[in-house]
Amino acid sequence: MKKVLLAVAGTALMAAIPLRAAEIAPAEASAEKVGKEARGAMVRSADASRVADWVAASGDNRKLPYIIIDKKAAALFLFDSKGKVLGAGPVLIGKMLGDDATPGVGAKSLAEIGPAEKTTPAGRFLAKFGVAAGRTRVLWVDYATSVALHPIPPGNPKERRRARMLSPTIEDNRITFGCINVPKALYGSKISPLFGKKGGYVYILPDIKPMEAVFPRLYVHGAMN
Amino acid sequence: MSPSMIKIAPLALVVVGSLGLGGCATKGFVREQVGAVNQRVDALDSRLQATDGTAKQALAEAQAASGQAQQNAQRLDQLGARVDSVEQQQQAAQRKRPRN
Repeated sequence: MKKVLLAVAGTALMAAIPLRAAEIAPAEASAEKVGKEARGAMVRSADASRVADWVAASGDNRKLPYIIIDKKAAALFLFDSKGKVLGAGPVLIGKMLGDDATPGVGAKSLAEIGPAEKTTPAGRFLAKFGVAAGRTRVLWVDYATSVALHPIPPGNPKERRRARMLSPTIEDNRITFGCINVPKALYGSKISPLFGKKGGYVYILPDIKPMEAVFPRLYVHGAMN
Repeated sequence: MSPSMIKIAPLALVVVGSLGLGGCATKGFVREQVGAVNQRVDALDSRLQATDGTAKQALAEAQAASGQAQQNAQRLDQLGARVDSVEQQQQAAQRKRPRN
């Protein structure tokens, strides 16, 4: 009987320790950890799910891996060629709201790009790795408008890009000149090997435009279901 | 031979003879005709020689042009390779910068 009581008491104690730790953890955690936890459980929006369902059902990705960028949620969802979710994470996107790229913006230097031109264009893009200035290798999403997907570049520390990415808020994720900044770990461990050989598709959801205007095949998918 | 046939034979001979003589041409007529043909043959011969000369000249010019074209093509290839090289160097120097 004593043994049973001791076992029950021990079990209760063991269970209490993690609970306590969990209570203390948020208070002691740094802002980065909070951000990571908050971002860890990326919830797919209805629009992102709609595009994911359409791509998987129609085979629009042509047997290539694909990424869905939800600009409104500042989130990325990575899929393999068969539509299996491989990862998700926060992204930094163009500073301005907008779904189009200004004509000729791709030929401009960063200093020449005006505030209104700092948009991440919405649409379906066949992305491939290529060499950029400074002999860097980036995943070009739209080469014509110089939109690439890459980790946070070394740049202006005042922009606090890393902190912005880790923060739970979405509004502060709008900071780039149009490129898509992704977590370094996700880029190195999953995106890079997956897109390295033949590239893949990147679906960027719109800020303002209707979904069907950006992805017209959604009409067909909607009609069929 | 029957007596009727003996009567008809001279008449037939006369008819055949008159017909035969009527079909022969005179020497003058033949010379005239042959002369005209000869003139036409001569004219054609001279035209043929002229055409042959023109053709040979054209062939020579075509061969010369072909040789020149080949040389030009070789030069173009060499220039093309140089242009490609320069273009690649230029691209390497001015690679596109992503919009970070």
